[in-house]
Amino acid sequence: MEAIRVQDLSKTFRVRQKEKGLKGSIRSVLHPRSEEIRAVDEVSFTVEEGEILAFIGPNGAGKSTTIKMLTGILYPDGGKLEVLGIDPTKRRKELAYQIGTVFGQKEQLWTHLTPYDNFRFFGAIYDIPEKETEARIKELGELFELGAFINTPVRGLSLGQRMRCEFAASLIHKPKVLFLDEPTIGLDPVVKETIRSLIKQMNRQLHTTIFLTSHDVGDIEKLCERIIIINAGSVVMDDSMEHLKDIHTSGMSLENMIVEIYKAEGRTVSV
Amino acid sequence: MNRTSGSAASICMKAVDGSAPWYRRGRKYIVIYRSVVMENIQYVVNIAMGFLSYFIINFVMINLWDYMYGTSGEAIAGYGKEQMIWYVMITEMIWFGARGATVARQVSTDIRNGNIVYMVNKPYYYPFYVMAKYTGEWSVQLPMYAGLAVVMGMAMVGRLPGFRAAALPAVILCVILGITINAGFKLCISLLSFWIEDAHPFQWLYDKLILVIGVIFPIEIFPEKLQPFFRLTPIYTVCYGPAKLVVDFSGEKCMEILCAQLLYVLAGGILIYLVYRKGVKKLYVNGG
Amino acid sequence: MLTAVKNQLWVCLLSVKYNIMREMTNRFTFVTNIVFMMLNNAAFIVQWVILFKMRGEIGGYTMREIMLLWGLTASSYGLSHILFARAFTLHELIVNGKLDAYLVLPKSVLLSVMTSASEASSIGDFLYGLVVMCLFCFSVGRLFLFLLFTVTGALIMTALALLAGSLSFWFVRSEMVGVHVVNTMISFSTYPDGIFHGTARFLLYFVIPVGMAVYWPVHVMVSFDLAMFLKVVGYTVFLMAAAVYVFYRGLKRYSSGNLMEARM
Repeated sequence: MEAIRVQDLSKTFRVRQKEKGLKGSIRSVLHPRSEEIRAVDEVSFTVEEGEILAFIGPNGAGKSTTIKMLTGILYPDGGKLEVLGIDPTKRRKELAYQIGTVFGQKEQLWTHLTPYDNFRFFGAIYDIPEKETEARIKELGELFELGAFINTPVRGLSLGQRMRCEFAASLIHKPKVLFLDEPTIGLDPVVKETIRSLIKQMNRQLHTTIFLTSHDVGDIEKLCERIIIINAGSVVMDDSMEHLKDIHTSGMSLENMIVEIYKAEGRTVSV
Repeated sequence: MNRTSGSAASICMKAVDGSAPWYRRGRKYIVIYRSVVMENIQYVVNIAMGFLSYFIINFVMINLWDYMYGTSGEAIAGYGKEQMIWYVMITEMIWFGARGATVARQVSTDIRNGNIVYMVNKPYYYPFYVMAKYTGEWSVQLPMYAGLAVVMGMAMVGRLPGFRAAALPAVILCVILGITINAGFKLCISLLSFWIEDAHPFQWLYDKLILVIGVIFPIEIFPEKLQPFFRLTPIYTVCYGPAKLVVDFSGEKCMEILCAQLLYVLAGGILIYLVYRKGVKKLYVNGG
Repeated sequence: MLTAVKNQLWVCLLSVKYNIMREMTNRFTFVTNIVFMMLNNAAFIVQWVILFKMRGEIGGYTMREIMLLWGLTASSYGLSHILFARAFTLHELIVNGKLDAYLVLPKSVLLSVMTSASEASSIGDFLYGLVVMCLFCFSVGRLFLFLLFTVTGALIMTALALLAGSLSFWFVRSEMVGVHVVNTMISFSTYPDGIFHGTARFLLYFVIPVGMAVYWPVHVMVSFDLAMFLKVVGYTVFLMAAAVYVFYRGLKRYSSGNLMEARM
């Protein structure tokens, strides 16, 4: 089964141009000039259920725009889009029950509450009966080893503990697809390692499809089976990790490979 | 906003070393002042938006006093109708023109989030730094409000009987001193943040004291027994004094108000010095 | 359908409860905020004592009605800022792209946004209104009406803030409008309408809805008038519906990324 199906997806932003200085400001008020930027340009790909996919690219390549369209935050201007068979532009709320999101650095937990209370809140948001929420909290608490601090207000937790709770909160409603936007940003190597093994565990035990963006090569290398590289709004590479490693036997590290591909800027790279 | 003034401060640091004479060391505050003025000129549009609130308040007041004076137009507490409305417009002008986030919010925030630690160790005296910055803020705003007040007053109330242009320099001096005294008290309240989490409720109360007793009414309107007491409070020097001089100037009154203001500047300065010293001491003991 | 509404209300209730719990993290601050806000409002009693010494009635109001006016304004403002504080800073969320977080939740975006913050001091406003009303003109029927009009007043203020805030969906630089519209409303609503004439009166009923939020309700509380009562309720429903409509129109613009320039 396909979890995500994207065909010729496009998004254009109009950006107002402004010249420097006071004169420029006045001129831009009188004669506004705008330029169109094609943030996402006819992107197509599919993601199978249960897959872990790395969706990477340099800053401004169109990663966030694509994630925002997949989760229903932004509407595309062209192309077809389906997540779990649902069109996010038309049935955003319905889709929301089935997906989860973790945006690194953007906290969704209430810091003055305990993780336990937070989970109950999210349970209410996803209309889960209280008994079921309790059972789910217990389950996730064991999986993520939250027991020691489940009753400590979140602001008193270490960053690693907090991230574990963030993950647990986004899984309270058993999402089928999880979108992770830079989940390990700003974490120390030990916590990074914990988070990665958690993601792996989630994928294996709960069969969650994982859509991950990251600048951290470690995340990609250790987690993903497949990698899509996007640059200047277009897909420049879509290949399995194994295949990628096979062809580059020259001893080039993944990091260097990615740098090379980014530098090729927009041109399709044949691997 | 912080970043620009921060860089202004670091420029000062290079220019002036610790052994310089006092008048050179004082120059840094002028540089801080000047850079804030430059910065605020860019926000003229935002300031102009505040005009709407000023306009509305005065509009309400004009209607209120129109009604209160009725058709007879008899003086109330010694003020004619025009004088009364001009009085309120001047005090509201000071109220709006002297509004600034620096003394009220910035200081509390600096203390609460621990930024104060870095500022205490800079080669400037923090209260002076704040005052210089604040003065930079209001010296752009206040003239704009003054212009608006004059236009609005002339259009909606009419000329002020008995106004003397010659008295203007003295009045302006009084206004400046009044605003500085007010800022001093607000700064003192903000410094309470060294001890309590949120000093804003104390700011509200101080503001309301000034507003209800000094801004919307002249002191003469209150029962005679209370008046001597009000004359001792900061209200007398902050807003009543300057506005009174505009609507009803006399040399004697001017001297009286100026003297009171100088006393208040002195007392306020000592108070800030003491509170700040105690606060910083607490900072060093507890490490923020 | 019914369970969906029930679930939605339950989430809103939880949000407000957690907001208040957050404000209560420091008890001393929480209590001073409330008590000082009540004192802050009470300071204006002095103003009216002085004014009523000069004349027995002002614009058709006696001290009792003025206090009712003040009480209703304070309580409405308080209630709207306890429940829907974020509606009053909506522009900030729109311009900084912070609505994203609410768009991935399976609940009403508008309600989730509005109920995502509370102001501790507004509890003081709300209580002040009740105290004033009980001290100056208590009767059981009036208390009931007062509570009802507090709700309509709070909804009118919130709707107005939403309308002003939603402007940011179209005009990024309109941030200050919301603050000023609500401030203007408060400035007018603490003075009797009898002192305004002509154009001003027109403005008070058709541009800034002070009339429907405060003046009519006070009139109804002093001497009951069914037609006027219904007009207040009807107007509240109308304004709220308009605000919700405009918000969702704007949200479509947000989702089509027309505001991206502000964020880039």
